[in-house]
Amino acid sequence: MPAGMKPLEKFLKKQTTALTRAGGFGEKATGTGTSRRRASLSRVVPFFRETSPESGPAREVFSPDTEEAPCWPSATADIRSPSLSSDEQSSEASLDTSWTPLPADTPDNLALALLDSVAGKRYGNCTETLLDDFMLTHPIFLASDRFQQVLLQQFGVEGKAGEGWPSWDGAERKQAVLSVAFRYLDTYRELLQEEGERSNSFPKELYLCAVQQLSQFPELVEDVLKLQRWTEILQCPRCSEEDKEIRKKQVRPLFRHFRRIDACLQPREAFRGSDEIFCRVYTPDHSYVTIRSRLSCRVGEILALVREKLQYSEDQPTQPGNLLLVAVTSAGEKAAFRPSDEAVFTTLGVNTHLFACEPSELESLLPLPEEIHWSPGDSKLHDMSAEEVATQLVVFDWELFSCVHEVEFVCYVFHGEQARWRPLNLELVLQRCSEVQHWVATEILQCQSLPKRVQLLRKFIKIAALCKQQQDLLSFLAVVLGLDNPAVSRLRLTWEGLPGKFRKQFQQFESIADPSRNHKSYRDLMGSLRPPLIPFTPLLLKDLTFLHESCKSFHGELVNFEKMHKVAEMVRSIRRYRSSQLALDAEPSPSHLQTKAYVRQLQVIDNQNLLFEMSCKLEPKDM
Amino acid sequence: MPEQSNDYRVVVFGAGGVGKSSLVLRFVKGTFRDSYIPTVEDTYRQVISCDKSICTLQITDTTGSHQFPAMQRLSISKGHAFILVYSVTSRQSLEELKPIYEQVCQIKGEVETCPIMLVGNKCDETSAREVETTDGDATSKKWKCAFMETSAKTNHNVKELFQELLNLEKRRTVSLQIDGKSKQQKRAEKLKGKCVVM
Repeated sequence: MPAGMKPLEKFLKKQTTALTRAGGFGEKATGTGTSRRRASLSRVVPFFRETSPESGPAREVFSPDTEEAPCWPSATADIRSPSLSSDEQSSEASLDTSWTPLPADTPDNLALALLDSVAGKRYGNCTETLLDDFMLTHPIFLASDRFQQVLLQQFGVEGKAGEGWPSWDGAERKQAVLSVAFRYLDTYRELLQEEGERSNSFPKELYLCAVQQLSQFPELVEDVLKLQRWTEILQCPRCSEEDKEIRKKQVRPLFRHFRRIDACLQPREAFRGSDEIFCRVYTPDHSYVTIRSRLSCRVGEILALVREKLQYSEDQPTQPGNLLLVAVTSAGEKAAFRPSDEAVFTTLGVNTHLFACEPSELESLLPLPEEIHWSPGDSKLHDMSAEEVATQLVVFDWELFSCVHEVEFVCYVFHGEQARWRPLNLELVLQRCSEVQHWVATEILQCQSLPKRVQLLRKFIKIAALCKQQQDLLSFLAVVLGLDNPAVSRLRLTWEGLPGKFRKQFQQFESIADPSRNHKSYRDLMGSLRPPLIPFTPLLLKDLTFLHESCKSFHGELVNFEKMHKVAEMVRSIRRYRSSQLALDAEPSPSHLQTKAYVRQLQVIDNQNLLFEMSCKLEPKDM
Repeated sequence: MPEQSNDYRVVVFGAGGVGKSSLVLRFVKGTFRDSYIPTVEDTYRQVISCDKSICTLQITDTTGSHQFPAMQRLSISKGHAFILVYSVTSRQSLEELKPIYEQVCQIKGEVETCPIMLVGNKCDETSAREVETTDGDATSKKWKCAFMETSAKTNHNVKELFQELLNLEKRRTVSLQIDGKSKQQKRAEKLKGKCVVM
């Protein structure tokens, strides 16, 4: 039995650990570059299934049927090729050899080149690719404000002899700007809605400009109407007054204590930064207050709410001093946040809790008693069939995965100066992955009876098989990794009780999790699947991180657009995974509802020390 | 999730705005604020004496609105003692305690073993009073529970409230003092005017 964890598992653990820390590290500067970058923030646009004012589904150009050009740059770039298997690359079908990489240029010039391309279709089929590349990645190199400015400027440019586009007539030029503007609004709609007035000025100004030009360019009339609709959309994000009231009252359940069955049985909606949640904040003696806060809230604001609740006042003899907000994992690891950190709630591990304490109390913070003790109980899992459980796992994973906006993938890894978005829903997918892993271990280790434990092993292996069959690689590998948890894999007697065929099957599954040769087994499997499928998200993010760290975004002032293209390519593969719908059953029966509720409210132990303790109680260490 | 077996759990219920949080914070922190911050659920812990040893007094301050019925049921089933708060300035708030009392009875079964204290808060508001002391007293007799009027603002009867509640507990000996003095000794000292509550 390997003493350490497999590298993939280590990576996942690192992800999980990274999830429990924001950028700031209390007393120790043990943060990796990656997690520190995460804290320097990016906001994100949650993915909404609603369609834009444009008729029909967005981006129909990118249906799997059009098989657009893979557009892999030649090997001359200073980039090592990203860690995608050759299978994945060649699966992008026909090559459009007319694509050439956009040369490095300043952010502004790239925007102009984009407009050129859209107006003149200079790059042919690849205009769409360029447009998509730009839309997905521009936050990395071009601030939204600046981009909006450029669009406004270019719309207003008059005369044939103006800079940039001497050869096209005015209407074509203006329509190009509008088309790009609509694409931009469509992509970033939810983010812009969050920003309120500030972002509403963009479609408004453009609209006013366009209206003035209507007499000269009557063909713009439809676009003008569209712009007007956009000003309405961005002005009043939650529509009517009553909608606003309802929305205001609804606090969304995020943390375990505030889960409600009725809410958890509803299809999951994407979280936005402006959504409000309840959260418990503990003090060193394990008292707690419940605060109500926006998801995107700054740590400084959270502490202000806590101070208010605890009635810290200036005229008290003992000043509370500077309070720290600290995340404490179930195993007792701590990480202090900085007051400027934002949207920390979704970065926490499954059983990680927030504490408010003074700097002097940091050292002595202890995890909550419920995280270090446990009482054996009857699991409901014994009464549920593997099929039902697997189905519900897959359905939930699809809901969570669908909530992640494409831009979140970009923002998770790449944080520009003007980073405004947080990959909230993506972080929740990662959290779910960790949760499923620990659920498997928890269920097995809570089971006192050996024969029942063996039954559970069989059940989990079956569940894994079913997830794999339904192409949900997130839960598939999470279950496998859960069974590979050292506290579980050391249960020799239990594993020996497993029939040979199950053990063989599990070994096959384990080999898919084998990280050697850059996760070749996993990538081979991925290459053989057709959408819809859910990738093993931690590895996907590892690939993106690798891409980010292996080549520069800028060469001096010039943007390395080849890198941007590669980033966009990765996002497009995710888009393909989600490009078709999962066939879902009709309304679940009452028993299925029970399973559904169970799967969505998993109680897990993620304190590895405790899991080990439980394991040793079940099968003591050999003398 | 397991609870500490030696916790002593007190839960405070009542309509919104009657002063539950003010009472709890006055007791736990010694402070009072005029500003109103609606509670969702807060819990404060304090070491107290219990059966010649120590244990943790856990006071749960609940929401006055009815957002979390499941949470309410859970705190009743886990709780050892209950404080039902109304405001003497609002007859309505006394009315609103009825269903809560009934739920405690329903979940706890034997209400006799369970210390319950009916509290009329804001007794400092003499001009705005709607509920006379006799009314509160009558209700408590009907419910067979203890009764007290308090003011978190002026710090009247706040410590006494918690002391009395603990005294009502018959299943074990719980007390705010952790110096091992017997009940009689403490009473004697109190009569002498010494303040021994920590």
